[in-house]
Amino acid sequence: MDIKKVLNEVTKEIEQSSSQQELQNVKVAYLGKKGKITELLKSLKDLSLEEKKSSGSKLNLLRIEVDNLIKNKFNDLKIKEINSKLKNEYLDISFPPPNSIASKAHPISKTFDEVITIFGSMGYSVAEGPDIETDFFNFSALNIPENHPAREMQDTFYIDDKDKEGKPYVLRTHTSPVQIRTLLNQKPPVKIIAPGRTYRCDSDSTHSPMFHQVEGLFINENANMGDLKGTLIEFCKQFFNVQNLKVRFRPSYFPFTEPSAEMDIAYEIVNNKIQLGQGDRWLEILGCGMVNPIVLENCNVDANIYQGFAFGVGLDRITMLKYGLTDIRSFFSGNLNWIASNGFTIGDF
Amino acid sequence: MKFSYSWLCDHLETDKNANEIGEALTNLGLELESLTDYSEYSKFVVATIKDFRKHPNADRLNICKVDDGTNIYQVICGANNVKKGLKGIFAKDGMYIPGTKINLKKGKIRGEISEGMLLSERELNLSDDHEGIIELLDDFQNGTSAVEALKLNDPIFEIGITPNRGDCLGVRGVARDLSAKGVGKLKPMNFKKINQLEFASPIIWNINNDNNSCEYVVSRYFKNVNNSKSPEWLQKKLISLGLRPINALVDITNYITIDLGRPLHVFDADKIGKKLDMRLANANERILALDNKEYTLDKNTTVIADGDNALAIAGIIGGDYSGCTDDTKNVFLEVALFNPNSVAQTGRTLGINSDARYRFERGLDKNMVIEGLEYASYLINKICGGLVSKNIEAGKLDNFEHKINYKFDYFNKTIGLVLDPQKQIKILKDLKFQINKSNEKECEVLVPSWRNDVKNKIDIVEEIIRIYGYENIKQSVPSASIDEIDKIDNSSTNKKYKSIKKLKKTLISNGISEVITFSFHSIRAQEILKGDKSLKISNAISDDQSYMRNSMIFNHLESAELNFKKGFKNIQLFEIGPIYNSSQSQENILSLLISTEENTNSIYKSEEFNFYSLTELTSILISSLNFDIKQFNISRSTSNTYHPGQSAELFMGKKLIARYGKVHPLIMEEFSKLKNCYAIELFFENLPIDSISKANSINIQDSQFQFSEKDFSFLFEKEQNLFEVQRYVKGLDKNLIKNVDFFDLYLSKDLGDRSKSVTFRVTIQSIEKTLEEKDLEQLHKNILEKVSNKFKAKIRS
Repeated sequence: MDIKKVLNEVTKEIEQSSSQQELQNVKVAYLGKKGKITELLKSLKDLSLEEKKSSGSKLNLLRIEVDNLIKNKFNDLKIKEINSKLKNEYLDISFPPPNSIASKAHPISKTFDEVITIFGSMGYSVAEGPDIETDFFNFSALNIPENHPAREMQDTFYIDDKDKEGKPYVLRTHTSPVQIRTLLNQKPPVKIIAPGRTYRCDSDSTHSPMFHQVEGLFINENANMGDLKGTLIEFCKQFFNVQNLKVRFRPSYFPFTEPSAEMDIAYEIVNNKIQLGQGDRWLEILGCGMVNPIVLENCNVDANIYQGFAFGVGLDRITMLKYGLTDIRSFFSGNLNWIASNGFTIGDF
Repeated sequence: MKFSYSWLCDHLETDKNANEIGEALTNLGLELESLTDYSEYSKFVVATIKDFRKHPNADRLNICKVDDGTNIYQVICGANNVKKGLKGIFAKDGMYIPGTKINLKKGKIRGEISEGMLLSERELNLSDDHEGIIELLDDFQNGTSAVEALKLNDPIFEIGITPNRGDCLGVRGVARDLSAKGVGKLKPMNFKKINQLEFASPIIWNINNDNNSCEYVVSRYFKNVNNSKSPEWLQKKLISLGLRPINALVDITNYITIDLGRPLHVFDADKIGKKLDMRLANANERILALDNKEYTLDKNTTVIADGDNALAIAGIIGGDYSGCTDDTKNVFLEVALFNPNSVAQTGRTLGINSDARYRFERGLDKNMVIEGLEYASYLINKICGGLVSKNIEAGKLDNFEHKINYKFDYFNKTIGLVLDPQKQIKILKDLKFQINKSNEKECEVLVPSWRNDVKNKIDIVEEIIRIYGYENIKQSVPSASIDEIDKIDNSSTNKKYKSIKKLKKTLISNGISEVITFSFHSIRAQEILKGDKSLKISNAISDDQSYMRNSMIFNHLESAELNFKKGFKNIQLFEIGPIYNSSQSQENILSLLISTEENTNSIYKSEEFNFYSLTELTSILISSLNFDIKQFNISRSTSNTYHPGQSAELFMGKKLIARYGKVHPLIMEEFSKLKNCYAIELFFENLPIDSISKANSINIQDSQFQFSEKDFSFLFEKEQNLFEVQRYVKGLDKNLIKNVDFFDLYLSKDLGDRSKSVTFRVTIQSIEKTLEEKDLEQLHKNILEKVSNKFKAKIRS
């Protein structure tokens, strides 16, 4: 018996196998139950102990080597077969996909989220009130009596339906009625913001009959105008992401705050674009003031003990400023091109 | 409120320039809206047309030789008033022309060189006049600056006056405020009272006792006046503010209105009766006013009348008939006090915005009644001559007296700044408040007559800080306390916003874009969706915005249509916002709309979007809120917004959680371009807020043991609710039955009209062991028996 000869023979047959089936046949022919190598191993039993030892180990080595050769060949054949199959599976990778437009969140959503986060970090929780308000909440409780010229500061929408006092419901002209609703329901200290929809009958590129505001209210025993100033400057720094922010507080008038102020931030035009923070032009950002003691009394809050401040920010306005948007009407047009250009992807939102 | 620098200087002695004054005004709360300063116009100069000839290639153009005092230029000019010797205003090459907003460029016009431009008033933004080039009448030297030649050296301020500051609706009031800020010194009024009041007025006053708005009226009669053009100084003042001079008497009243903020009125005494009444108008009484419009009055309107004849609407506007003209010989001057509320109400009802109304409704200085009378008398007498009567009055002129007890501490507590009492007192005195009694803690403040807006101690604080300067308020940021953070964590509104954000993210990641549409409905939408009529907006801007919406679907269909027109084929949008069920009830919902077209792409294939795709999307949305769609009760929707056979409603108890389906074909008739529209309305506010806002609330038990699957087919009654079947099967063994997945539905004639064949796969898995065959068989048997019994279902092989 010549192990070498068998090895040469089987090696050749393995090499010549061109398919897994052929190789399988070779495997059976040598290592199968009646295979040549198996037979040789069986014949060992007829040999002497000495011969058994020497031939046995050689035969075993042969068996292992052949087994490995077959395994390797199997692997080669498998790779070859898959590779040849893959050649038929080539797709036209250049076939362009249909056009798609990114789905995004509205810029106002992003602003709502930031406003809630920034004021949240200062301790303000969110409150809300209805869009359709009574005259009491929108005006008289806020120290805006009927026939007062201050009513004409705001062009009010009225609803046909009338409230319990017989006055027509109004679409809230500001988020300030939430101040009243909150103070009537909650004892001080009160620290809330109330973002939401507001309405005035006005329509052009900077005015929309519907727009958004956020109201802020902080009432305790000592919240003062310095706190108001600091809070709003801090908000603007964070919202506009400008650390070096030049601001101006100037006296103004709102019937529900006294003293009242408006806050402007400085800007300059750089390459035809508004750049916020520095410069010698001013942009009006918000109205604010110390809550008028009359309003506190209207809400059964003792103005000899409690005081505090309130503010109102136009959310569409600060959104437009932050992102350089110019026409408020496009906010509410439902134009998906506009959303895709100006909205926020899920990662940015 | 508009006034010129020189007019302000009539009342204020100051060395500050226009810009400095502008800044001070804003810091006083008298916000500078614009400052028109023409100093940059000094680059434009006076020039003379030396000679001109017709342009050879253009009929309308002339070639002019223009002398600006230094050079001779050739200028092509198209104006029709070109003539030799004309003195005009000249702009050279490179200069910016404000009226046309272009930089002038030397160049050829129809083949002839032009080296500059002779300007019209419009090109200088001085008026709309573009009839011809400016023609100077006075003999200015060539090269004189346009500012001098056109007398533009008087800057114009325009300031915003808040409703509380009626006292600053006159130039004098503004000057007074500026002087308190330290910008200058208030000058005393510069006129002489008329000492010789010769005779009793032949016209007398009566204030009817009918609750009309007149508190007090005082008048003088001027005999034999000569009314014609007012003097140049007066005309120039009015023109500087864009007002048209009319005649001396009218100009004087307009002047005093602006100068002192005191409206007054002059009647032509020969056109009115001898006894004038202040009374309420009769219903439907009419008057032709000075603005040439006829107004119909109601019983709440106060009029000035002689008998049945309304002569003027009190505090608002005079009548046309009794007005003064150039021919007026005798004049009756009226200075009155009217109730601000009534004036406001009448003005609003009639829609008249006059200078008088504007001032009356903000409340006038009571002490200015007599001063206005004296000043007007002085000017009328000086300008128009004649004789002046004694006063004739009616009603009562109360003294304005308002005292406030004020503690100096209050300022410190409110503003967060310690300001010495002496400094506080000085500011108040500068503002002409009187300090009656004072000690180191408090004082009694007497408010000046023109400050009827200062009512309480908080108003005193405002006055002090206004003058002291808001820029001096020290800022501090009160940080969040633990209590406040706790409140935020527990606030249901905060939780709601968190959930809304979660929903939005889910929607966006599913390819749906967010829109925000108006809270309104058009008339068309209201009719089609049969909304509540009580939600009509009484004063809507347009038909498109005349109701409050009770659904967003119509708005979204309109958006979809708009986007379709922009070329979008597949439109997927959502909005989270309010809908209004009545004036007392609104809720925030999610509404989404999907409009798809058949996919014709043979490579990128996708299944057609249908009701089941929508159900799947609804399920995803509900999952994102920590709920499982299958736990709700499902029923067909009865809403007429949806296709009755392809829409569903999900309920939790009696609360509607979601409604979704194909938009009703009748509605789609209105949007014929859109095909295949589906909508979901998710009433997330009806879900318990604590559950939906939680971060990790779903608990799925994970098992390492082998699972087994088994399919079951049953023949159910056609309307059998499969949500119930699913819940029932799952409930048969909560520990072992992991999933019940429905995957086939088969309807066929041979099953009969009343049944449906349904197949579902049950996944069985234990968390304790690998189940044995006999356990499984027992469970399978149990499912078959229980389901067929419970639902009267036939088992299919």
